[in-house]
Amino acid sequence: MDFIYDIISGWAKAGYMPSIFEHTFMIRGLLAAIIIGPLLGAMGTVVITKKLSFFTQTIGNAAMSGVAIGLLFGEPVDGTYAGLYGFCLIVALLMTFVKNRSRLSNDTIIGVVLAQVLGIGIIMMIVVTSQFNIHQVEGILFGSLITLNDTDLITLAVASVLVGILFAYNFNRVMLGGFNPILAKARGLSPVALEYIFVTLMTIVVVASLKLIGALLVLVLVVVPAAAAQNVVSNLRQFVWVSVVFSSVSTALGLLLSGLVPVPSGAVIVLVSSVLFYGSLLLKPLLSKGGIGQGQV
Amino acid sequence: MGQGEGMDGSCEGNLLEVRDLSLTLGGNNILRDINMDVGHGRIHALIGPNGAGKTTLIRAIMGGMPHKGTVRFHFCDNGRIGYVPQLLEFDHSVPMTVFDFLFLMLRRTPLFLSRRKPMRDEILKILSATRCEQLIDRMVGYLSGGEFRRVLLAQALVPKPELLLLDEPASNVDEVGARQFERMLIDLKEQQGHSILMVSHDMQTILRIADHVTAINRTVTYDGSPDNLSLSDLFVNVQPEVSPMVAQ
Repeated sequence: MDFIYDIISGWAKAGYMPSIFEHTFMIRGLLAAIIIGPLLGAMGTVVITKKLSFFTQTIGNAAMSGVAIGLLFGEPVDGTYAGLYGFCLIVALLMTFVKNRSRLSNDTIIGVVLAQVLGIGIIMMIVVTSQFNIHQVEGILFGSLITLNDTDLITLAVASVLVGILFAYNFNRVMLGGFNPILAKARGLSPVALEYIFVTLMTIVVVASLKLIGALLVLVLVVVPAAAAQNVVSNLRQFVWVSVVFSSVSTALGLLLSGLVPVPSGAVIVLVSSVLFYGSLLLKPLLSKGGIGQGQV
Repeated sequence: MGQGEGMDGSCEGNLLEVRDLSLTLGGNNILRDINMDVGHGRIHALIGPNGAGKTTLIRAIMGGMPHKGTVRFHFCDNGRIGYVPQLLEFDHSVPMTVFDFLFLMLRRTPLFLSRRKPMRDEILKILSATRCEQLIDRMVGYLSGGEFRRVLLAQALVPKPELLLLDEPASNVDEVGARQFERMLIDLKEQQGHSILMVSHDMQTILRIADHVTAINRTVTYDGSPDNLSLSDLFVNVQPEVSPMVAQ
């Protein structure tokens, strides 16, 4: 990893990049943003189609409990991977199970779980650490580049590659199942199985991106670039690619700006993606007169 | 040779046999002792008042609803069932074109990684079966009821099904559109040899195109030629029964 840090740091020292990238933690953040941005953008299109926006938020909130469980089982403070991934996956699969077994709407089930997991997480964190460490909580809720280490970055890269491959492989079927489960079933697919696959992949990516973006803000990066793309596209192919571009720009530019002003990276990434969203609303009427909105790709 | 295949390789007899099918939902008997046969290469209409259990029966036939009794198919080719649902609830704001919609169903290559050109001709050909090629670049959410019905029928025809299940295929379609749809179904039967089981409320359509009619109101109230069907067969009052467990 040092080899990569030296190269990028060298570019910053030579003036090819902003001087903030002379710092290793900023380079890690940039690499994380480059890896996770496009994937969150692509997966956001399915999240919007399947109306799973607040599902993502619930997984982010569950992270607090995940960290506490990790600490309880003796994992190091800066690497509670088993607790994080384990608990968030259990919450995700449980919500999907309840949704498919009950008559309650998705909205209601998420509403029941959303705040509970955060509340339980904060209580567990205090019980486990015997103190209220605001910095630990802040890091998870809002993202913290300082705490992003090499192991996090490698975990993020491996998870992103695996999830990216599985997401692309299942994209058509998951999208069809999200669009209309009855038709998917008539085509011999199992919409329920596809939903389990997608929520598992989504949970892995959300958890992997927590230190960069934060539990409270990850929802925005999943939903806003895809929503902005939806304003300016006219087919699914454009939807995915424009969302990928918007998400990549949001993460990379947001990270750069967070290096210039002392605020959490996640918050700036959210602001950049919000600017893109409102910009896309302004562009919408122009594009519908003969631009991307009417053309073919 | 498949179960329904004749000595000369052609299909004959019954494609579908439903025997003593009963279905209970939430303690209510929705369907009771349904018996019906659908012949190869025929248009079979399923008719009944609202709430008679027509859509539930179609879903039970497709294997999507737990039930008592048997549903037996006598396929002689690929055994594929093409399905056009009654109502298709979806988010109309999703930027999905007719091309995308068919691509998702027909291909495994991720849509966003594939080249559109080679697939476009194939999808145009599929849409031409229901005369709606001009819709290929239109967003699915912006199609009229009749246009979307044509697209749904086109998707149900690929790969070629042995049985087409159509749940009120001409609902929300104007008179002209409904007549075009009828013509299409007759062509599919006569030229392609499709067997069709169709739910319909429209007596005139049934009299014009159906070979056989089964009327149900939770149980079968008529089964035979459309020519002998009377309105009274449709409104035989069958009260929904409550299962003994719920009654207790």
